[in-house]
Amino acid sequence: MTDPTELIRLQKVSRYFGGITALKDVDFSCSAGTVHGILGENGAGKSTLIKILSGVLSPSEGQVVVDGKPVRYRSPTEAAADGIVCIFQELSLIPDLSVAENIFIDQPPRRFGLIDAAAQRRMAESVLARIKCEDVDPDARVRDLSLSRRQMVEIAKAISKNPRVLILDEATSALTSRDVQTVYDLLAELTADKVASLFISHRMQEVDALCDRLSVFRNGRHIQSFNKGDLRESEIVRLMIGRDIEAQYPHKPAPNTGQNTGQNTASTEALRVCDLRWESALKGVDLTIRRGEILGLGGLDGQGQKELLLALFGVLKGVRGRVELNGAPFVPASPAMCKSAAMALVPEDRKTEGLMLSLSIADNLLLPNYRAVSRGALIDPTLAAREIESAIAKLQIKTASADASVETLSGGNQQKVVIAKWLALNPEVILLNDPTRGIDVGTKQEIYTLIRDLASSGKAILLYSTDYAELIGCCDRVSVLYDGQVVSELHGRELTEEALVAAALNLQTEEAAC
Amino acid sequence: MSRLFSLSPENRPIAIASAFTVVIILIGTGYTLATQGTVPMLTPSYLLQQLQIGSFLGLCAAGMMMVILLGHIDLSLPWTLTAAAMMATTVGGAWAIPAGLGVGLAVGVVNGLGVSYLRIPSMIFTLGVDSVLRGLMIAHTGGFAPQTEASPLMRYLAADRVLGLPVAVFVWAAVSVAISIILTRTGFGKSIYATGAKESAAYLSGIRTRRVIIGAFVASSLCAASAGILLAGYSAKAYQGMGAPFLLPAIAAVVLGGTHILGGRGRYLGTLVGVVLIVFLNSVLSIMQMPEALRQIVYGVVIVGMLLVYGREGRTRL
Repeated sequence: MTDPTELIRLQKVSRYFGGITALKDVDFSCSAGTVHGILGENGAGKSTLIKILSGVLSPSEGQVVVDGKPVRYRSPTEAAADGIVCIFQELSLIPDLSVAENIFIDQPPRRFGLIDAAAQRRMAESVLARIKCEDVDPDARVRDLSLSRRQMVEIAKAISKNPRVLILDEATSALTSRDVQTVYDLLAELTADKVASLFISHRMQEVDALCDRLSVFRNGRHIQSFNKGDLRESEIVRLMIGRDIEAQYPHKPAPNTGQNTGQNTASTEALRVCDLRWESALKGVDLTIRRGEILGLGGLDGQGQKELLLALFGVLKGVRGRVELNGAPFVPASPAMCKSAAMALVPEDRKTEGLMLSLSIADNLLLPNYRAVSRGALIDPTLAAREIESAIAKLQIKTASADASVETLSGGNQQKVVIAKWLALNPEVILLNDPTRGIDVGTKQEIYTLIRDLASSGKAILLYSTDYAELIGCCDRVSVLYDGQVVSELHGRELTEEALVAAALNLQTEEAAC
Repeated sequence: MSRLFSLSPENRPIAIASAFTVVIILIGTGYTLATQGTVPMLTPSYLLQQLQIGSFLGLCAAGMMMVILLGHIDLSLPWTLTAAAMMATTVGGAWAIPAGLGVGLAVGVVNGLGVSYLRIPSMIFTLGVDSVLRGLMIAHTGGFAPQTEASPLMRYLAADRVLGLPVAVFVWAAVSVAISIILTRTGFGKSIYATGAKESAAYLSGIRTRRVIIGAFVASSLCAASAGILLAGYSAKAYQGMGAPFLLPAIAAVVLGGTHILGGRGRYLGTLVGVVLIVFLNSVLSIMQMPEALRQIVYGVVIVGMLLVYGREGRTRL
């Protein structure tokens, strides 16, 4: 029964939040020197599981056993003392502190009782070098880093604690492919050092590539654990969602041949961007989006994709260049103005930019749209209720009541609320910044279908994603950005993972160039 | 009791504050019964008197709530109130009240611009504005109590009675109805909640958050100015420091009523209950002839203690 390599075991663990059961009778164990993948849709109980393992939550029932001894952690610090360290999905960094200060926040190197800043900086440098992030300055403020760099700092912070059990909760979802590879290498290295890793990801390929053993969770229950290769991908997906899933991406329409429509291309153009510049992030971006089309934004992280979306939505100050909306010049000066011009933005971080988490689903849905549900100066409750009902029905947002706070929804349903609040305004141009980040497979698929339906109904869509498979699966064309410029545009059969990667690295190979 | 804990985060403080108000009245009544054998606290004239006093604080708290819902604060209340009162009595006649409200409007716009466009934290900016107003008023009156008097209309609104009720209470009621309609039934009100809950998300939803901030500060200053005008009418004249006793109780009333001090959450009904609670607390403490020092201590302990009771919601340590 007792496996000498076993580090952690959960016995009959349950966890309740009020009347809601997040975990029920979970038996689970993981061993040294393995990478253990945890699979399940959002709301399956994965996050609760790792919060219990890492000492953030205590189990309501059952027991956690570490090294054969029952433990009851009262804080993440106690768990970290036993070598159990978690990289959380919601970033735990303090934006106004430096990278080095963040990495050693709970146990800074001391000298005469005071923090030794020089040593701290040196140690931060070596930890960052270990995860190949030499480009991150230990003195930089975390606020100034991109999301993917911040995630790497988060990983550095965990590594610096010399973990025996490392838990990665969606730690790769915000990363670029290059950083993902770095994390893979790191995990391999740690595994050789007899570290147990728990890996939670929605990206099936990652789980497949990395993990030795897999556990599937559904509705708070541990469904099954098996070794890699024991089950086929389709069988695993079925275990996760409890039903079959067909093709992940919706069908693309036949590509628009530019030949016979030469005359009316101008009239089908929804948005044209010429020579857009902003500080050092955008260095002359040119692109065109037609109605009925999904244009992808590709490239490595931090090449100006996010800034481009923000500039088009009027958020950035001092943007130069020309933007044409439906053939007429347009100066995006504020989000309010872009909203009036029938544009919409689904921002990068739904928890801070997309939603007011403490407000109700209804209040979030109606926010951009009060004028439409008001008679005179006052909101008409009947109109408002009808609008909310139709938004919830249209996107199949799973909630008991529209008055519940949006915080209570799963990540996927939260993202649906962000999208739904804009759809009520019937926007013509929709800007999407990584809309499926950290969302379960089932909801992802719903969102892909929705985006395609919107395009089919004549909307123009600009989609930025860090997931190449998503760009290939969803987009009609992909413009690849490199250093603030569009370096290539891929469509039709050129749109392959190899071509995207080559273009993202700005490799001028013959295949990619033509 | 279990019912109480199943109330929503907005309603729980309101229920607790209401219950506590009743407790205060019972304690006061018990005290007077034991010492004098009478129940003055339950007589209509006493209750009306409390409402009259409460109307000044009620107006201040109503405006303060709009700003606190944004996660900001308006510390210029004392001298906005005083300046409005002084300008109203200085101008006098038919233009007394418009002059006072004009002061409120101007202060509100300045506060709003400073906080929304200059991005100066409201705690500092409004404190600065308060100091400037104070300086201006001292220059205006030469540092003495102004000799001017309240206009007849101001006196009517503040001190007269209609149907046996103080007119000031009707003013308070009208402002209350207006504010609760704004907060629950207009896009502006909903935008205040949204901006207070997460300004970046509201901005990216196409809300003109700067205008929302200016609007809320204008509402706050107008309410403070109205309180000043009424208070000058009630005492027949304006005087230095007339606004000072209102700042802390106004903030306390809003927070005791369950409005989140960091913004985004709260109901106007809560603020009303908070005002009533504070008025009765003050009144019972003075009926019990508690020495001033002890009164201040009890007052502070009650406010902090009640906030502790509200705070016990979290189930996780995160």
